[in-house]
Amino acid sequence: MITEYSHYLEPMKVYIPITDDEYKIANVVVAGGDAVKIGQILAYKFKGKHKLPVVATVSGKVIEIVDKMDRFGKIVNHVVIENDEAYTLDDIPSYKDEVSTAEARKAIERAGLHKVDVDGLFTNLNFEEPIKHVVVSTVFVNEPFISTNYEYLLDNAPEIIDGVAILASAAATKDVTIVADKFLPSEVVDELGKAIVDHDLEEPIFVDTKKVKGWDYKVIQDITKEQLSPNVLDNGVLYVHANTCKMISDVVRKGFPVVSRNVAFTGDGLHKNVVMDVRVGTLLSEVVEELGGYIEQQELNLHIGNYLTGVQVPTDDFAITESVDAVHISIYDEVQEDVCIKCGECNDVCPAGILPQNIMDAELRAVGERIFDLHTDECVECGLCSYVCPSKINVLEWVRRAKRRVG
Amino acid sequence: MEFTMKKPPIVQNSQSSLKRSFNLHIALIVVSIAAIILKAFTAVPDDATFTALDQAFKVFLMLAVGVGVSVIIELFYALSEGSTKKFESYEGFVDPINSGLLIALLLPTITPIYVLILAVGVGVYVGKLVFGGYGYYIFNPALVGVLFANVSFGSRLYVAGTPLELLKKSMSGETYQFENVMELFVGNYEAIAIGSTAAILLVFVMIYLIVTRVIDYRTVVAYLLTVGVISFIAGWVNGFLVDYVIVNMISGFTLFGAAFLVAESVSSPTSRETKYIYAVVIGIMMMLVRVLGNEAEGLVFAVLFGNMITPFINRTVKRSNKQGLIKTVSILAVSVILMGFVLGFLLQNRLIEAFASLGGMM
Ligand code: SF4
Ligand code: SF4
Repeated sequence: MITEYSHYLEPMKVYIPITDDEYKIANVVVAGGDAVKIGQILAYKFKGKHKLPVVATVSGKVIEIVDKMDRFGKIVNHVVIENDEAYTLDDIPSYKDEVSTAEARKAIERAGLHKVDVDGLFTNLNFEEPIKHVVVSTVFVNEPFISTNYEYLLDNAPEIIDGVAILASAAATKDVTIVADKFLPSEVVDELGKAIVDHDLEEPIFVDTKKVKGWDYKVIQDITKEQLSPNVLDNGVLYVHANTCKMISDVVRKGFPVVSRNVAFTGDGLHKNVVMDVRVGTLLSEVVEELGGYIEQQELNLHIGNYLTGVQVPTDDFAITESVDAVHISIYDEVQEDVCIKCGECNDVCPAGILPQNIMDAELRAVGERIFDLHTDECVECGLCSYVCPSKINVLEWVRRAKRRVG
Repeated sequence: MEFTMKKPPIVQNSQSSLKRSFNLHIALIVVSIAAIILKAFTAVPDDATFTALDQAFKVFLMLAVGVGVSVIIELFYALSEGSTKKFESYEGFVDPINSGLLIALLLPTITPIYVLILAVGVGVYVGKLVFGGYGYYIFNPALVGVLFANVSFGSRLYVAGTPLELLKKSMSGETYQFENVMELFVGNYEAIAIGSTAAILLVFVMIYLIVTRVIDYRTVVAYLLTVGVISFIAGWVNGFLVDYVIVNMISGFTLFGAAFLVAESVSSPTSRETKYIYAVVIGIMMMLVRVLGNEAEGLVFAVLFGNMITPFINRTVKRSNKQGLIKTVSILAVSVILMGFVLGFLLQNRLIEAFASLGGMM
């Protein structure tokens, strides 16, 4: 249970990774000893010819460039900046009123905003391919770890919806779907509704997130009316979270780079569970200290992101970035896997409509042809098959192996 | 701070296979106790040399022997494999006990004890352990044992005058009367198996197992609907409507099968469409045997047949979607109804005539 909302925005040092899991090559443009301002470009990272800036999140002095594990579990270069606590802003253009497609894209790119939502079906802020639909989730439920963060929606509704409108402009489409939780308190719905009317957008779709497993898959499938690819950008869908839209609004309206991220810290390995606004670049170990440390004398697991599809990492010595939406620390629980009892529940729950149990079976027998026949490539790695399995089998892991066998 | 990279199992979901085995365990024990009690209240023939209490004791003995033999075989097998670890707690005994109880419950009171021992031996060893134990078998182990007993010792297991047999005879012209339809519901009558008679109890057990997700409601419902619809149509064609449906639905192995055999998860298919196909195939096969076969009951054979085609039907589906499901269900519904008519007319040896008149009409 989340018991508190707080922030941690004044770390003495920040560590900015200059690459990510897609943009793997980077070119650093600052050196040790340089003074930098918030939003100043530290490096450019490349994917093929495409380049993105990496920006500072505090003002201060660049101390050094070090190797460190990033939130994807890979060792990469980080620029370390010592905070001078002045928080001086670099000069970044901002825009009022209507924003053109070109302006919106430029502003988002200048802020280094690209990979924010990494789990599940969420997509990058990628505008290279034509986008037909923009889908925005305002659902915070990430059962069973994270409770709903209504306050965030209530406090930031105008910015979020403004961000949605800017995003639509950047994507050059009018087809925008906002998805909301059916159980939202009415004052939150009212707030969102007002902002939606102001921007002339469509009413939100309400989903019963408690009942419908894989609801976002179903919503997007209803919109596109086609078989979804594991990366829904291929279906012409840009799918992001409300958090991202708020960031976009800040970036475009205030000329303010993404300096902080709303992160949920959950799990029985922590003394208290909180949602916290954390400055990008802060080490997790520092945040946890602030939270009162870990439960002692236990083997602990550390997950970044969605517990079904997120990344498991071996240390808390990594920097929180804008793509870290949740950190889950749990007591390692030795539970034996049972044999598959062929109950078929994994098959029933799969939102992609494929048959993970049969895929697992084919993988066990190593029959590649059958794996191919079973449309294994359509798996979106939502992890629901692992979640429902009464035998606690990590079904998704088997599906991944099957994918590798034929892929 | 360092963290373990051991994959945590996803335990947030409260469902567990072990819990399901326990629930099945409870259900079987309840049915076993009921079987013993019912026998104490079942009227014995006037000329019998035994009393109802003797019969109740015999039932108790059968259940105890079934469990004992099953556990011993599993233990010996585990010893020979050097893997006795699972027997350190009661959990390890749940499945062996379940198998023992199931086989005993599927045999009649008159079963000689040595036949029971052989049936359990064959069922547990050939049906389960040879395949690799719980979770890996293809055929329902209990039914393998029971089929073996029926084939090898059929005459020693024959119980005359079961409701299904009476029904069958009546179709061929003999008249008979059910003395007491109530008996059929409560279950205090002599039948082909000690566990299969308590209809009302079995319905409750079935609901319990469905709620605890031990068995899949879709398989159960599709199976019961198939049996119901076929017996309704066949009964209607022959003017026996009420008796035919009641006897077919609540006596024999119909309900026992619905609760424990048909939807047993390991030996049944794993996806929506295939579960429906499987259930309907079993329903049809069972009615075929009941109507046309020499035996009065056909469930044992029908379920084993279903188990046999399971790997095959599992292989026919590639994905599951709405259109496919609707198509499958409609085809199945039509086949069931058609089957009802075919069996109804076959019962009267009038099938050809009926088709001829149908042709004439068109
Ligand atoms: S196979 Fe599993 S992880 Fe993949 S889409 Fe289906 S339920 Fe999700
Ligand atoms: S949910 Fe688990 S036990 Fe059930 S069929 Fe799938 S893998 Fe097997």
